[in-house]
Amino acid sequence: MTTDPAALLTLAQWLSPAYPVGAFSYSHGLEWSVQSAAVSDAAGFQLWLSDVLEHGAGRNDAILLAAAYRDPSPSALADLNDLAIAMSPSPERRLETVQQGAAFCRTTSAIWQAELTDLAYPVAVGAAARLSDLPLPETLLMYLHGFAGNLTAAAIRLVPLGQTEGQAALAALAPLCQQLAAEAQTQTTDDLGSACFLADIASMKHETQYSRLFRS
Amino acid sequence: MINSAGGITGGDRFAVEATAFSGAKLTVTTQAAERAYRAQPGETARMETRLAAEDGAALHWLPQETILYDACRYTRSLRAELAAGARFLMVEPLVFGRTGMGETLTKGLFHDRIDIRCDGQRLFYDSTRLQGDIAATLSGAAIGGGAAAMASLLLVAPDAETHLAPLRAALPDTGGATLLHPDVLYMRLLAEDSFEMRKTLLPILDRLTGDGLPLAWRL
Repeated sequence: MTTDPAALLTLAQWLSPAYPVGAFSYSHGLEWSVQSAAVSDAAGFQLWLSDVLEHGAGRNDAILLAAAYRDPSPSALADLNDLAIAMSPSPERRLETVQQGAAFCRTTSAIWQAELTDLAYPVAVGAAARLSDLPLPETLLMYLHGFAGNLTAAAIRLVPLGQTEGQAALAALAPLCQQLAAEAQTQTTDDLGSACFLADIASMKHETQYSRLFRS
Repeated sequence: MINSAGGITGGDRFAVEATAFSGAKLTVTTQAAERAYRAQPGETARMETRLAAEDGAALHWLPQETILYDACRYTRSLRAELAAGARFLMVEPLVFGRTGMGETLTKGLFHDRIDIRCDGQRLFYDSTRLQGDIAATLSGAAIGGGAAAMASLLLVAPDAETHLAPLRAALPDTGGATLLHPDVLYMRLLAEDSFEMRKTLLPILDRLTGDGLPLAWRL
């Protein structure tokens, strides 16, 4: 089956770094992990990102996105949004999902047939994709790739990491994004779960970090 | 709580319910560390905890460590319903393998869901999910950095904010504390073993319980 090119272009637009959700201002705690030398080079960053995708917010966001896609009724979205917000391990991580989601809702509602306001980012993307008849597999794939791409851009600013090294790390994690996107299609909120304890702690430590470029 | 079976293994079902009525103070702890033993193939142990605290009540859920043995399969679910004027303190310390004898978790399953509601609204949800080669997973820089013990702590209380700075000062690089809401303090701590975890955790628990930590914790 070939995906409708128009649908692919809509997803490319929504999940591109140019879409005004402010993704560039969040590091998901990476800024502290670099400061504390837990992540200090390209190999270390790739492992960190792989963990966050597979055992943390990447996988969980994909599950939340798919759940919103399956049932975009207002009451289901409200429940899912409460869950997404309650799962945030720190105010900065909550800001990361709440602010990007609100900005996504604003721009998307203004242009496409999707009246959405103030939903956590993965919930917003899942609901908007369903309301715009976009395919779930590609939405998950592009969302995860966007998530990974944004953290790669943060790493290039922070680690320091060369542009080429950053892109190599992102390319190496493409198969993981594919795997997680495929798995999320059949997972439910019962499958939510994280093991990224140090990423959570980093986002708490980041609140008091002396010098900061990022809001998380 | 005393588990007279001496531990938890695949297929076991445990259920605990505790309510602190209006004006009551209730502290729940375990007599010793809990052990989640190696499970028989295909068997998973389950524990369900239902807690409630009414207006003006104080509920302290302070079990000692749960030690996960290699090849354990254990899922837990804790749900607490709090009234708006209730005080709630929860700690869940975990040890990954019998570190004293050099055991690591090369296989197993641990899934732990914590769901806290206040006045019917979802306040906090945490789901820990570890499976397969847990020791390898825990080595990751976003995960455990090689830690073999972890504690999660949640305080819901009007004075939560006053404890933030002292807790931060008491935590090592591998621990963080934050204020999720003005009255909700959350802390997560990793340590190389349960001894190191207790060194940090005991003074914090003394502080948050007003020196009311059950004696069983010090035996």
